[in-house]
Amino acid sequence: MPTGALLLGLGNPILGDDAIGLRLAALVAERLAASGGGGGLDGLEVIDDCSAGGLELLEPLAGRTRVVLVDAIVTGCAPPGTLHRFTAAALPRTRRLAGPHDADLATALALGRRLGLDLPADEAIAIFAVEIEPACEFGATLSPDLERAAPALAEEIVGEVRAALAATSPPPAGR
Amino acid sequence: MGRTITIDPITRLEGHGRIEIFLDDAGGVSDCYFQIPELRGFERFVVGRPIEEVPRIVTRICGVCPASHHLAGSKAVDGCFGGVIAPAAVKLREAYYCAHFLHSHIAHFYALAAPDFICGPDAAPAERNILGVVARVGLEIGRQVIEARATAQEIQAVLGGRKRNVCWCTPGGVSKGLSEEERAGLKPMAASLMEFARFSVRLFKDAVLSQSRWVEAILRGPYTLAIGHMGLVDEVGAVAFYDGTVRVVDCEGSELARFAPLDYARILAEHVEPWTYLKFPYLRARGWRGFVEGPDSPIYGAGPLARLNVAEAMATPEAEAARQELFAVAGGRPSGAMLAHHWARLVEMLYAAERLVMLVADPELSSPEFRVLPERITGEGVGIVEAMRGTLIHHYTCDDQGICTGANLIVGTTHNNAPIQMVTKKVAIALIRPGVTPDAALLDRIEMAFRAFDPCYSCATHSLPGAMPLVARLHRGGRVVAELRRDG
Repeated sequence: MPTGALLLGLGNPILGDDAIGLRLAALVAERLAASGGGGGLDGLEVIDDCSAGGLELLEPLAGRTRVVLVDAIVTGCAPPGTLHRFTAAALPRTRRLAGPHDADLATALALGRRLGLDLPADEAIAIFAVEIEPACEFGATLSPDLERAAPALAEEIVGEVRAALAATSPPPAGR
Repeated sequence: MGRTITIDPITRLEGHGRIEIFLDDAGGVSDCYFQIPELRGFERFVVGRPIEEVPRIVTRICGVCPASHHLAGSKAVDGCFGGVIAPAAVKLREAYYCAHFLHSHIAHFYALAAPDFICGPDAAPAERNILGVVARVGLEIGRQVIEARATAQEIQAVLGGRKRNVCWCTPGGVSKGLSEEERAGLKPMAASLMEFARFSVRLFKDAVLSQSRWVEAILRGPYTLAIGHMGLVDEVGAVAFYDGTVRVVDCEGSELARFAPLDYARILAEHVEPWTYLKFPYLRARGWRGFVEGPDSPIYGAGPLARLNVAEAMATPEAEAARQELFAVAGGRPSGAMLAHHWARLVEMLYAAERLVMLVADPELSSPEFRVLPERITGEGVGIVEAMRGTLIHHYTCDDQGICTGANLIVGTTHNNAPIQMVTKKVAIALIRPGVTPDAALLDRIEMAFRAFDPCYSCATHSLPGAMPLVARLHRGGRVVAELRRDG
């Protein structure tokens, strides 16, 4: 079982802006690796090509002390490129339609904990979600606006990941 | 002026799927539309690329059934290179696909179907999910669900070399064979899935079939349709997931068509409606006549129940016994009881496990001859597999340098587009009566109609974070007069 911290990029690499989470995870990993020292990649695993969701996320999350998820989101309440930040504790308790073929993340986490999996506490699962326009057209590139915004978004996330790595102990499990 | 009810599952990128129900002045249903988004630009995305790369790209179309797209695409590419394939590779691909079916069907039953049947439609919304199922059947069963899915995924990893983003199939075979040692390791894994599939079928019988109200609802409620059915069958007419000919029967079981993959466009046509991007496939020979039921209907469905409806048998003994039991209860074959898709899915789970046990016992699976190098480019191929939610068709063309010049896909949910419209409307009409105020529970029963098909309207490949899953808006005179929201 994996241990330590995880940076997980989520998205579809051929569905336009839906790939923003994958791009940012790769950018964050590059910056952390380039900075070296204590802010480097020691103790952090990066997965930047994850196209899974729901129950399938239990496996990569199990055993981790801290997790940073980076994904795209459509709330319709903010301009594209807005970085939403929250933790798994803020995930609403949703019904299954939230993931039409699977459990949603909140349910998957609750199930995993009830079944005794060693999952990080909700507060130790940081979620960065970038607002995008609904992506319905295949394409391997981001929209120009998001492409321009990506470096600054990555910088914001780097700070959080550094803080996670610097933390000597994760928050109480609170399960 | 009448009202409009919109059932809108607002999630992140799946957010376009919704039901709109139009009410007349008296409060009855005047019409009902189920709308799902269509991804655009796939053909443009793959044209100009080496044709052998396309099956590796199509796994990204959908995170729900990547292996189905990979295998259908690979079969189409095999066709573009003359159709030669190593016999051992056919078995390896089929074994992989059985594991994939198990992985998917287990999730569907326990996370999506069981909340309806085991928790019941009247259970509190917060309980009607996999957590509620586990609360009823026990933590140990919950652990087994997770373990069985992990086992099915591990089998795919052993066969295909990785757990996710499969890129295993090559023209004429697969890129990696199976050692004797690996094959030996798969045997107990397949056996454990067999046990779990048996348990799941028993659970359905104990929890669902023992209750006459459920049997009545499944077989005789408004959730029934008199339409045709389509699915792959093998040379003796048994259900086939990976390869075979496509058979279509009408609502009374008479064969309407049986065709090889390359003939699909001769048999099937697609109708366009102005209110949705998604097309409605129908049987070309019958012509489009609207959303009509009956033995003359040009409309057919696909998916687990349709597969059982078109087949003469299951190719393995325990699944065959389970199939016979289903049709004995259903009153014969074919069955138009759309909620029986859930039961058929369990019969298929049993078949996938049984077939997997047989395949991993076959020494040919460890043959070093797992690929035939293609020697010519013939330029066109159609690959058809049964995806979990229906017949999946990939049609590619390439030039004499092997560069993709065209691609056409028809996916399972598209075949089911018309049946979903029809059964959703039928259930809405039955449940929403003048004087009845639609509430969340009633809307959920309408939603059950399309959930049976497991329609795949996930544009993206994941579902984070999943907020506000269902919204129903009531409109009158062009403005919203009420809103029902279920956040969980």
